Amino acid sequence: MKKKFTKTDLVIGTLLTLFAIAILYPFYNSILVSLVPQDVYVKTPFMLFPKKITLSAYQFVFSSKSIMNGFLVTLFVTVAGVIYNMFLTVTTAYALTKDIPGKKLIMHLIIFTVYFGGGLIPYYLLIKNIGLMNNLWVMVLPIGFWPMYMIIVKTFFEELPEELEESAKIDGANDLVILFKIILPLSLPVLATFALYYGVERWNEWWHGMLFIQTASKQPLQLVLRNIVQSAGEMTQNLPAGQEKKVFAEGVKMASIIVTMFPVMCLFPFLQRYFVEGLTIGAVKS
Amino acid sequence: MNALPKLKTGDLKANTSTLLKKIIRYKYFYLMLLPGLLYLFIFKYIPMYGIQLAFKKFMFNKGITGSPWVGLENFRYIFSEAEFWNAVKNTVIIAFMKIGLGFWISVVLAILISELRAPKFKKKLQVVYTFPHFLSWVIVSGIVINLLSNSGAINNLLSILGFERISPLTDKGIFRYLLIYSEVWKEAGWGTILYLAAITGIDPTLYEAATIDGANRWEKIKYITWPSIKGLVVVMLLLSIGQLMNAGFMQIFNMYNPTVYDVADIIDTYVYRITFERAPDFGVSTAVGMFKGVTNLILLLTADKVAKKMGHSGII
Repeated sequence: MKKKFTKTDLVIGTLLTLFAIAILYPFYNSILVSLVPQDVYVKTPFMLFPKKITLSAYQFVFSSKSIMNGFLVTLFVTVAGVIYNMFLTVTTAYALTKDIPGKKLIMHLIIFTVYFGGGLIPYYLLIKNIGLMNNLWVMVLPIGFWPMYMIIVKTFFEELPEELEESAKIDGANDLVILFKIILPLSLPVLATFALYYGVERWNEWWHGMLFIQTASKQPLQLVLRNIVQSAGEMTQNLPAGQEKKVFAEGVKMASIIVTMFPVMCLFPFLQRYFVEGLTIGAVKS
Repeated sequence: MNALPKLKTGDLKANTSTLLKKIIRYKYFYLMLLPGLLYLFIFKYIPMYGIQLAFKKFMFNKGITGSPWVGLENFRYIFSEAEFWNAVKNTVIIAFMKIGLGFWISVVLAILISELRAPKFKKKLQVVYTFPHFLSWVIVSGIVINLLSNSGAINNLLSILGFERISPLTDKGIFRYLLIYSEVWKEAGWGTILYLAAITGIDPTLYEAATIDGANRWEKIKYITWPSIKGLVVVMLLLSIGQLMNAGFMQIFNMYNPTVYDVADIIDTYVYRITFERAPDFGVSTAVGMFKGVTNLILLLTADKVAKKMGHSGII
């Protein structure tokens, strides 16, 4: 039975659509700014449709060495980071599914780190002392695994039927074989979800880069972007004569932003479901 | 008399040997734990050891352990700094504004979404709502700063409509609202997910029964939907109180500027500035960090106690 579409439905639909527009409009505006020449930007007070489109801001971004460099650094950080994160998450979670002596203490030690930490300065000194300063790995190694993700993965492992493991043992499989041949393949959806979470996080990395990386060519994309966004247009000042008219600071800023979020923007509509599932299983389990 | 201690040692021996056997049996699992524990030890526990700097005068050539103790000197110093208290005040105000204004938008939004009767449209909306959560504050601040700058779209629209231009980025009176706005823009949609999961879990027969009893939409929300998410709302509220001293470093760090330090400088940004933008005193910086860490821990434990007293499962 289909219910009648009432006035209340209309009000709810309108409110929600307005909220969606409020979220989308800033993106739309950024895309417009990145696409129009300066004179159009200055002359059109409120743009909804661009009168003239130019790709010069994008040309500038793609020919910018620092952005391309940042992209490569971030690619490395994301790939290496996710592998490292998943390795630690899976090994820790799997070991803790077993009834090993000292398990409770280990769990407490892990959870305690969620609620208390040394703070910025001891952390800074540590990084300095172990020689990670100005080293690409500083954006990978210090972010190991999130206890919450590990606990969810652990619960997932625990809920797999025990008979699978037992019958494999009878067939002579050792624990590593069991993990790789039985446990991991069965947990792929959950592992993929957390790989996504870690991946987005590594993609968004800039903080460790800002604190610990001095060499410009080792800076991650988000940090390069931050420098562009926070600068008041220096980027376009050193251009050869004639080109500065085509590119303007705001356009370049917005184009850099669009380029940086492009991968997330393209993948997100297809992956949104997994992100949501990741959060909800997490909540149910804890 | 003699037999008793013997038995005990025997027991102990037996116990140790079974424990040892167990440990040996699980040796590969300990090996598997090693990388994770090593990571925690190096990147989480060693910095905790460094907290002692809060009670020391840090000297670069002497390191953490070798620097001389100064008792509570660092704390006495920060407690006498007006800028420190300003940061504490801003942290609390901004955190409470976010809870008071931002927190509830997710709750209302979740209820509205659950009431929407067009499933396909609903899915599309949710993709839009949850997307900004996955962008960094670098990107979000870039977008927002452009949008609200003096020559940005919002100001141009205001001037077309005959209003005065606003400058939220440099206006002390409204900068904090800019923080709330950008926080809501980025996080409100994502914040609905858990509430929506809880609402989806409500037994549909409850609503059917209510319809038969003649309840209207509003009454169903009030008597079925709201009671079933109330517990979760309380837990989330307590969680955000446990996070009070954070107030959003990444956000503020990417949006603020010297003009608005008065109203926007929070503890974390203050620590960053006194450490990296001035002649640093690592002892003092660590003391500020420790003040924040301990306050957060106390707030969290209190919030957890309150949650348990109220009959919830606790938040830790």
